[in-house]
Amino acid sequence: MRAFLDNLRLALGTFLGNPLRSLLTLLGIVIGVATVITMMGLIEGLRVKVNNDLGRMGAHTFQVTKWPAGGFGRINWAKFAKRKDFEMPDSRAIEESCPSVGTVVPTDDEGGQKLATASSETRPSVRVFGTPANYPLVSGVSVQAGRYFNEVEALDGRYVVLLGTDVSDALFPGMNPVGHEVRIKGRPFRVIGLLQKRGSMLGMFSLDNQVMMPLSVFHQLYGKKRSLDISVQAKSPELFSKAQDEVASLMRRRRDVPANMPNDFELHTNESVTASFNQLSQVITIAGVGVCLLSLVVGGIGILNIMLVSVMERTREIGVRKALGARKRRILGQFATEAVLLSLMGGALGLGLGFGLVFLGNWMMGFPMQVPPWAVGLALFMSCGVGLLFGIYPAARAAKLDPVEAMRAD
Amino acid sequence: MSQASGAGPLIQVENITRVFHVGGEEVRALRGVSFGINRGEWVAIIGQSGSGKSTMMNVLGCLDTPSSGRYMLNGKDVSRMSDDELAVIRNVEIGFIFQTFQLLPKETALANVELPLVYRGIGARERRERAKAALDKVQLTHRMHHRPNELSGGQRQRVAIARALVSEPSMLLADEPTGNLDSATGEEIVRLFEQLHKAGHTLVLVTHEPKLAARCPRAIRLSDGEIVADGDGRTVAMGTATDVLNAGGA
Repeated sequence: MRAFLDNLRLALGTFLGNPLRSLLTLLGIVIGVATVITMMGLIEGLRVKVNNDLGRMGAHTFQVTKWPAGGFGRINWAKFAKRKDFEMPDSRAIEESCPSVGTVVPTDDEGGQKLATASSETRPSVRVFGTPANYPLVSGVSVQAGRYFNEVEALDGRYVVLLGTDVSDALFPGMNPVGHEVRIKGRPFRVIGLLQKRGSMLGMFSLDNQVMMPLSVFHQLYGKKRSLDISVQAKSPELFSKAQDEVASLMRRRRDVPANMPNDFELHTNESVTASFNQLSQVITIAGVGVCLLSLVVGGIGILNIMLVSVMERTREIGVRKALGARKRRILGQFATEAVLLSLMGGALGLGLGFGLVFLGNWMMGFPMQVPPWAVGLALFMSCGVGLLFGIYPAARAAKLDPVEAMRAD
Repeated sequence: MSQASGAGPLIQVENITRVFHVGGEEVRALRGVSFGINRGEWVAIIGQSGSGKSTMMNVLGCLDTPSSGRYMLNGKDVSRMSDDELAVIRNVEIGFIFQTFQLLPKETALANVELPLVYRGIGARERRERAKAALDKVQLTHRMHHRPNELSGGQRQRVAIARALVSEPSMLLADEPTGNLDSATGEEIVRLFEQLHKAGHTLVLVTHEPKLAARCPRAIRLSDGEIVADGDGRTVAMGTATDVLNAGGA
């Protein structure tokens, strides 16, 4: 313990004696640790956000769609395109013949749309949703001002629309849009409601840059030869998986899927979306760990280099210490402590930089970043390890020096 | 003095040889050297460069081990010890005084004097007290917080002597201690050695200067790796001078 404290004091002295050189040496480790912290912050932030966002999806609800939830990796889109479309009869069949199912809500949507008034227009990036009147029941959508359209309006195909806050802000800045007229694909719609602000999905695309209209009207505008997304809510949470089984076997029958073939459609639950997110976060983690390992190796080589220089510069000192009775282990300890302390300082600086980046990301770009405590531990542990790994060779060289030879060095 | 009381002389060297292999060639630096040094003696080991006196100094200081022969120091056979065992012996038995002082430039005089005690595992407070006492013996307590580059050559050598004294070793081993000093300062250091000798310390002084060796009660002359004279300091030292004169005149 006493020896350790002496070594620590010596190591600190060396660091303070050459602050600039030490800092430059540490850059690799600083960058490595900052990378880990930022990556972990990003992933953890996304994870928390995904869980929150998924909570917005209605309770015990799942979706039946033709498309996968966008897994990551190679997706053969052509294969999915060949699948049969989901149409209104499918939706009605689920409603009629699945006893565990409560509400069935078929929807369709089209991105890249433009809304206009007499005096202004949005960018062509608005997503238009066609829904039945009961859509708010199964989704996180709620109405801030005005109202959702009713059954009659939906069945009659009235040209009514609800605006997301981004759309409203673009067309009616600082105004209540309810009662005004907007044009979509050249047709006039009456605004009957403003949707509650929802923020962005995973911090990437806005959930407020969209509008809602009756599905029948949507079909008039965009045609019927499309596949619906069918949101299905079980009658109760206990019936959730039973409802999924019923819907899946009904759909297999209706779509003539042979018994030995997998489903030719997808059932998305919160869990399945979470699973594909986890896949993404794994990819990011692996990339992050790769970058981090690389810069730690670079940092380690820096440590190796500086320690070799340090041993060379202090050959005479080492000789004196050995002549006066320092054993090999003691010299080894002195230089290993120095290397570890050096890289720990790099780790601490990297932590500072990483937290700074996370803060910037949060504050300036609105990424929902959050650093998990274990990442801090991991970063410090890794920088310690690098110091030890790359510091041991120079330290061993120092320990092996012959005192007589060493004291003769300049 | 804290010298362990053992039977026989403090240093007993028996038929020591040291052979170096330099580029396939065998260099015999010591060719069978034997002598003894008793506690409290002040002995000079004198010789020209190449006489083997540096090798003798390294062997006596346990910085090197003999190729053959036996070296008993304070009752212990140190001739076959491992590096780490020798480190302990150096720490406990030997106080080194080098020609170039060998102080750590970044440490204060006090910290330099503490160093041998650091490697003996003595606590900071006791280290400080003992280092101060050692600096007091060389009249340097007023400079103890100065770094070596803030001290004169003579002061540096006194710090080095304090460092040699602090661990209360069984012998002080000085290698050309006045070699880097002007004659007045050198004289100051020699006087300090005289005091230490009177106080009962065992001193071994390795030098090529006859004048310095003449001040020692006993001198051993090495030439070509062998002892050629061992006796009264003045006689052995002056003998050299005559030899050199004779050689020059011939």
